[in-house]
Amino acid sequence: MSVRTDVVSLFEQVAAQQKKKLAPLLDELVLLDSGLDSLCLAIIVARLEDTLGVDPFTAAQDADFPVTLGEFIRFYDDAVR
Amino acid sequence: MRNVVVTGGSRGLGLGIARKLTAAGYRVIAIARKESNQLTSAMEEAERDGPGLLHFVPFDLAEIGEIRRLVTTLRKDFGPIYGLVNNAAIAFDGVLAIMHNSQIEHLVRVNTLSPIVLTKYIVRSMMADGGGRIVNVASVVGFTGYSGLSVYAATKASMLGFTRSLAREVGRLGVTVNSVAPGFVDTAMTQNLDAEQRQQIERRSALRRLPDVDDVANAVEFILSDKAKSITGTVITVDAGNTA
Repeated sequence: MSVRTDVVSLFEQVAAQQKKKLAPLLDELVLLDSGLDSLCLAIIVARLEDTLGVDPFTAAQDADFPVTLGEFIRFYDDAVR
Repeated sequence: MRNVVVTGGSRGLGLGIARKLTAAGYRVIAIARKESNQLTSAMEEAERDGPGLLHFVPFDLAEIGEIRRLVTTLRKDFGPIYGLVNNAAIAFDGVLAIMHNSQIEHLVRVNTLSPIVLTKYIVRSMMADGGGRIVNVASVVGFTGYSGLSVYAATKASMLGFTRSLAREVGRLGVTVNSVAPGFVDTAMTQNLDAEQRQQIERRSALRRLPDVDDVANAVEFILSDKAKSITGTVITVDAGNTA
């Protein structure tokens, strides 16, 4: 599976578990407008660490969190390469 | 078998907690820099008598940058982590005005920064696994004054604040976060108290004695148990009534 597939599937899974209404998952979607709150995003980061074996947020030099879904996917894409 | 990580689990209060939890049927992973003779005996005892298990993982908790790797290894070797007992701490007593900055920094690093970062990575796995228990071992010094312990007190008070807010943050995911605040317990950490100070603490305690390691370990065991499923964001004081 690609990183994109993993990320999208986790967004859908976590939204369903946390009973959140998810916006259409387009690359330009601003994460804060996705319908998920920051705790949901934290669950996604934790599960992606299990799935992909990477935590780009710990490895990153700065503390910036990606703004859009496209940036989030690219962040993980770069980390697994 | 539920996995519980106990930091500082090789001696003193941490070892007492590790023994208690092993006897209650948990698989306890004791983290400390060095294995002690008492821990070796406790591991042999657990292996022989059960019902739980006791493992030792050597790690220096002052090495903040290595904590993520530690948690990854723990999950790989032992599976999902049900409970975390942040017990490891150091204590230097001394007047703040002449305490060396390196000592102040070391106290904050080991007693505050390290448990927060360890909790960050372990709570992540609890979030992914759908629940868990975090117990922060604070101290009555976190909410009462004791001359000579200002920096230690600051680190312990920080754990109380951390407990309350984190409990609100992760409660929705089935993770509880609580503190246990022991009074002065007879361990290596309190050996600097002289007889007069000890008697003074006993005199000021409602029960006219100091609590022992087992009293504190019982409170930790309770918080980890299913009986405490509705308790979060609070502190259980175990001080024989010293702060009553």
